[in-house]
Amino acid sequence: MTVLTPAQLDALSELGNIGASHAATSLSQMLMGEIEMTVPSVEIVDLADIYKHVTDEVSALAIFEMQGEIEKAGYVIFLMPLHSAIRMTNTMLGMADEDREINEMDESALNEIGNIMVSAFLDATAELLGVVMLPSPPVLVIDMGHAAIQQLLVEVACDVNEVVFFHTKLVCDQYAINGDLLMLPEIHTLSQILEMMDKLLNAHS
Amino acid sequence: MDRNPPRSDPRAIVIGIGDYYVGTEPMTSIGLGSCIGLILHDTRLGIGGMAHIMLPESGGKRDRPGKYADTAVEILLKDLSKKGCTPKTLQAKLVGGAQMFANFSGNLSIGLRNVEAIRELLKKNGISVKGEDIGGTKGRTVYYCPADGFEIRIRRADGNCSEL
Repeated sequence: MTVLTPAQLDALSELGNIGASHAATSLSQMLMGEIEMTVPSVEIVDLADIYKHVTDEVSALAIFEMQGEIEKAGYVIFLMPLHSAIRMTNTMLGMADEDREINEMDESALNEIGNIMVSAFLDATAELLGVVMLPSPPVLVIDMGHAAIQQLLVEVACDVNEVVFFHTKLVCDQYAINGDLLMLPEIHTLSQILEMMDKLLNAHS
Repeated sequence: MDRNPPRSDPRAIVIGIGDYYVGTEPMTSIGLGSCIGLILHDTRLGIGGMAHIMLPESGGKRDRPGKYADTAVEILLKDLSKKGCTPKTLQAKLVGGAQMFANFSGNLSIGLRNVEAIRELLKKNGISVKGEDIGGTKGRTVYYCPADGFEIRIRRADGNCSEL
């Protein structure tokens, strides 16, 4: 895998920052509550260490393929621990019961939340890069976070042993909700993004 | 016997994706989706190994032997034979190989292709399969302690635990 220079890492986290803050803003509008966001980390993670970054706690994952001008670009995932997911849909749908099974209504609400957030994320990052990037229709998975991510890794890491992991944590204290926004780019997408960022940086220097 | 779910053993060695381990200590693979936890056990010696296999074929790559079925079976057998195990004394169990989402193209049958590749390699090496918990649509976590025998514990995404 290409080793990233500190400048490239910086540029990538700035890209993640712009995307994630747009996503956080749209989430806070949907919940009508304040969302805190960690500074996105861009990490190069070894496959064998993925379990340190993604829990096997049962979570709701809204999974999107990145589509548009870049072929087979990778995935963006909005992951919430199940209890957070139920709190989130309760907040949106005006319900109170937290101790219940997830139902169809929750599922479509979660898909919609994911869709709006991931669209905002991709819009912002793609605009910066000057390309068109759109999310695929969401696939909602309720499962161990690690098991679901692992299946996506089969796609993005069949030839490599490390993945670049964009990771932002979103927390809404008001409703005790938290979620993770993750981007897993394919290796060739990453080099394309880096190329575009280099051009962008050169144009401004 | 300890009836707690696998996660409760903090001593267990976590075998990440593409990793493997051979020894007597407790070991675990968490959140297996389409990946397979392959466990080989020698009852006589109380020794065994686990690999967290991601893909059926290495295509000649040797840098991460636990990642592919062909290299994983080979390296487990090699390391176990160094400790005195032979294919005759070893037995296998397989966990994982789920199909978690159908809507994406490409990886549709990767879980079952993993299983088939491993079964064939075990057969070729004369190792009998003692148990399987494979397929379905849910993730699993597996726990195995060679020193306690060849009973493995499985926790599923829906919270159900079982022994195999």
